[in-house]
Amino acid sequence: MNTINKNNSTHSQRNAVSEEHNAVNKERNTAIEVSNLQFSYTKESPPIIDIKAWQVSQGEHVFLSGPSGSGKSTLLNLLCGTLTPTQGDIALLEQPFSSLSNRQRDKFRACHIGVVFQQFNLIPYLSVAQNIHAAVYFAGTKPSKKTEDAKLHHLLDKLQLPSHVLHAKADALSIGQQQRVAIARALINDPQLLIVDEPTSALDTDARDSFMSLLKDVAGESTMVFVSHDKAMESYFDRHCSMSELSPSTNHIKTRGAEAPKAQERA
Amino acid sequence: MLSTIAIESLKRRKTSAILTLLSITISISLLLCVDIIRTQVKTSFTRTVSGVDLIVGAPSGQLNLLLSSVFNIGTPTKGIEYKSIAALQSNKQVSWLIPLSLGDTHRGFRVVGTTNSFFDHFKYGDMQSLEMAAGSAFTQPLSTVVGAEIATSLGYKVGDEIIISHGLGNVSFNNHDAHPFTISGILKKTGTPVDKAVYVTLQGLEEAHTRPKHSPTSMLGRKPADKAKEHEHEHEHEHEHEHDEHTEEHAAYHSEAFTPESVSVVMLGLKHRVTALQLQYQINQSKKEPLMAILPGMALAELWQIMGNVESLLLGLSGLIVICALIGLATMLLATMRERYQEIAVLRTIGAGPFTLLLLIQIEAMLLTIVSAALSFGLVAGLMSALKPWLSSTYGLFLSSPLFGQSSVIIILLILGCTYLVSLFPAVAAYRRGLHAGLNAN
Repeated sequence: MNTINKNNSTHSQRNAVSEEHNAVNKERNTAIEVSNLQFSYTKESPPIIDIKAWQVSQGEHVFLSGPSGSGKSTLLNLLCGTLTPTQGDIALLEQPFSSLSNRQRDKFRACHIGVVFQQFNLIPYLSVAQNIHAAVYFAGTKPSKKTEDAKLHHLLDKLQLPSHVLHAKADALSIGQQQRVAIARALINDPQLLIVDEPTSALDTDARDSFMSLLKDVAGESTMVFVSHDKAMESYFDRHCSMSELSPSTNHIKTRGAEAPKAQERA
Repeated sequence: MLSTIAIESLKRRKTSAILTLLSITISISLLLCVDIIRTQVKTSFTRTVSGVDLIVGAPSGQLNLLLSSVFNIGTPTKGIEYKSIAALQSNKQVSWLIPLSLGDTHRGFRVVGTTNSFFDHFKYGDMQSLEMAAGSAFTQPLSTVVGAEIATSLGYKVGDEIIISHGLGNVSFNNHDAHPFTISGILKKTGTPVDKAVYVTLQGLEEAHTRPKHSPTSMLGRKPADKAKEHEHEHEHEHEHEHDEHTEEHAAYHSEAFTPESVSVVMLGLKHRVTALQLQYQINQSKKEPLMAILPGMALAELWQIMGNVESLLLGLSGLIVICALIGLATMLLATMRERYQEIAVLRTIGAGPFTLLLLIQIEAMLLTIVSAALSFGLVAGLMSALKPWLSSTYGLFLSSPLFGQSSVIIILLILGCTYLVSLFPAVAAYRRGLHAGLNAN
């Protein structure tokens, strides 16, 4: 009974902190605003995400942590629009993102959100240059060839990738190179929001630190939500949110997104 | 960008892409071949005879009369007596008349007994007259004029002697050895059955059939003096300075003056074409000798109608084969979709909309079909070029340019339309697959 009271007390304190932070954010432009968000893979199953309110300010770098199965990747997929909320709203850059049509959401994502996937998800048969150019092409921003090339080379320099890599096929690159190319693709359209899903899970400590420095550098003023189960990375970010704080009522549910039923997978 | 992705994607899956490409290429080639044969046969048919208003023969059947007289196919009809020919010749509506006597062969090629009026009046294609590639028309009773293909395949030249055989078989034991015909002319190529026929004088043909072998009078009733003169002339033939005399004598020969006992068929040219139906009716109602007159155009149309059913069947079968190949294409695309869900999901994540994805899948399908169509055109053109001599010698099918016509273009457009339709299924399947599931496919 005491334990329950203690837990309730902790949650109350955290909610108070969160509300205070949200109040501060209201004074700044909001990059992410989540309200009454629920998500479950089937109608019958209990929600694996249940967030009353959550805000991220523009330019803020947020670290989202939680154990495996806590729903952090699911939350990222909801923020990317690759999953649709069962209930509630997500507003991104002050746009009602969750109520957009699939096509509008695809377009919004292409123009305003840069996504670095856990598995990088480069198109293996395209060259590095083609992979990055595809992001520009499908976003429909149509910069001049000169501007695009300049931006590409600037990114390659920052990411410490040699120019000859541009002509190599994506599947011929090392994991580290694929990771950097994925970042370059995510940043080529100057996204206002960068969503990064556990890209350091396969790296050792030194490589991880080096990568994080690089990422922070290239992310610049973009709002970033970074997901990892490794709490040691908290120091790189402005704020740390754990899934247990954000979605306390679902914290006990250990369901991995990838293993979920397919009925509601369509986004 | 889309075409780059499509090409690179196909290159990535080159084994299945090449197999699909081959399957579609073979199907389109088959369809094009059938279409070419169909159009070429039709062209060949319609250009076989022109300017002939009526064909008259013994009552048998419209098609039999047409086939035996124009196409040199089938058994000739029973003969028409001379008095009937004379009656036709004296008819005021008749402008010219070509008698044809059929039933003999030379080394498998049909022999046609006729007069010089054949070379004057017979027309083919777009009212084109027969022309000599070498020599001239009949110059004496035992003259023969051979078609271009016979001259080429048997290596004949003007002045060569040939022996004709009785009957229509390729091999005959009843040769008219005693009556060798001398080639007086070789016709220019026409692309019609004329190229594969041996034309002899009615007079020579009748003599070959009625006079015994080695008969002293076997030179068609000409006086011994004439014969001696001819032999003498043959000796002199080599002497250039006497050539003029030789020509003069040949020019004096009037093959039309001979009156045969009967002929197989008569082709008529009328002064006014509008009277053709009227004369046809008169001839068909003739009570003196039962005769049958046909309008070549109508008979050709009837023949083509019969051929048309076979043609439609062939075209239908080829169409089905193409549809099977296109379903194979859709199957290939669907099968590869499974391994491309992640790629499709990534493309969606970076902004490719449903229409763009649809377009991407369709560009891949269209690329395969367009390359297949181009390969098919090349393959069929090469094949037809290689088979041209065989088709003309074996089936009498003369391929004329251009090989590919409007129908070929329509076929390709239809195939591209079908490709568009069948590629819709994999394209829709790709988009409907969950984006989230695709991104986590690994």
